[in-house]
Amino acid sequence: MRRPPPLWRTEMLLIHCPYCEEQRAEIEFAYAGEAHIARPPDPAALSDEDWTQYLFIRSNPRGRHHERWRHTHGCGRFFNAVRDTATDKFEVTYKAGELRR
Amino acid sequence: MSDALARSEPVLAGHFIGEGVTIALAPPLTRYSLRARQAQALETVLKTKLPKRIGETEAGIACLGPNEWLLRAPAGTTLPMGAGLPLAITEISERSVCLIVEGRRATEVLAAGCPLDLERFAVGRATRTVFETMEIILLRTGEDRFEVEVWRSFAPWLSRALETAARQLLRGK
Repeated sequence: MRRPPPLWRTEMLLIHCPYCEEQRAEIEFAYAGEAHIARPPDPAALSDEDWTQYLFIRSNPRGRHHERWRHTHGCGRFFNAVRDTATDKFEVTYKAGELRR
Repeated sequence: MSDALARSEPVLAGHFIGEGVTIALAPPLTRYSLRARQAQALETVLKTKLPKRIGETEAGIACLGPNEWLLRAPAGTTLPMGAGLPLAITEISERSVCLIVEGRRATEVLAAGCPLDLERFAVGRATRTVFETMEIILLRTGEDRFEVEVWRSFAPWLSRALETAARQLLRGK
């Protein structure tokens, strides 16, 4: 009996890696949570509520979302992306450390 | 010391020969992982030029990432360690083995499990990618010749997967 074709042969989402400067298949990448979350400079000074906010609370929007991705099976770099959480469409990707788009 | 030990390979050498595609195990290689924020530091120590764009290869050195290179050389090659400098030159010869996929149907066999656009993957390119779900480093060393670097423990799986792909292709599926 023949196996069904693997998912990446039939439905492949391409993601632009800003370091490789190429469109590569989604299976090469790993999602790494929301982007632009700055670690508090002095964690000890934070109240429990603020610390909870920093650690656990994420914006989780429907629509435009800033997130970190890593080109794990490629150049290995983390970068940022703007993705629509409803349509799964990537609007733009940019290098880590660059300003929020 | 290692000369006294018997070498054992995870897959049989020269194990698949078909119409338009052969899959064979490459002889042992010396491999080095080169890491540095400034490529120039490595160039000074190694006295060679490094490729600057990701995916390019120059004199056996492939640029895999913004600060990562893979050097492949004949077995027995040794490099200076660059002690005290802000760089890392690490020998990783035995971390992976290399399978050579060759023949006019080589791209078709690799396309069975690799999501890269191999038509646009020019001769001399090298990149880390996946085959099915295994991480590989794919190097195109000729129009009809690819070298697939894979971690040792994945080698039996990869060679089986490539063989299966080749068999299915030759049978016309």
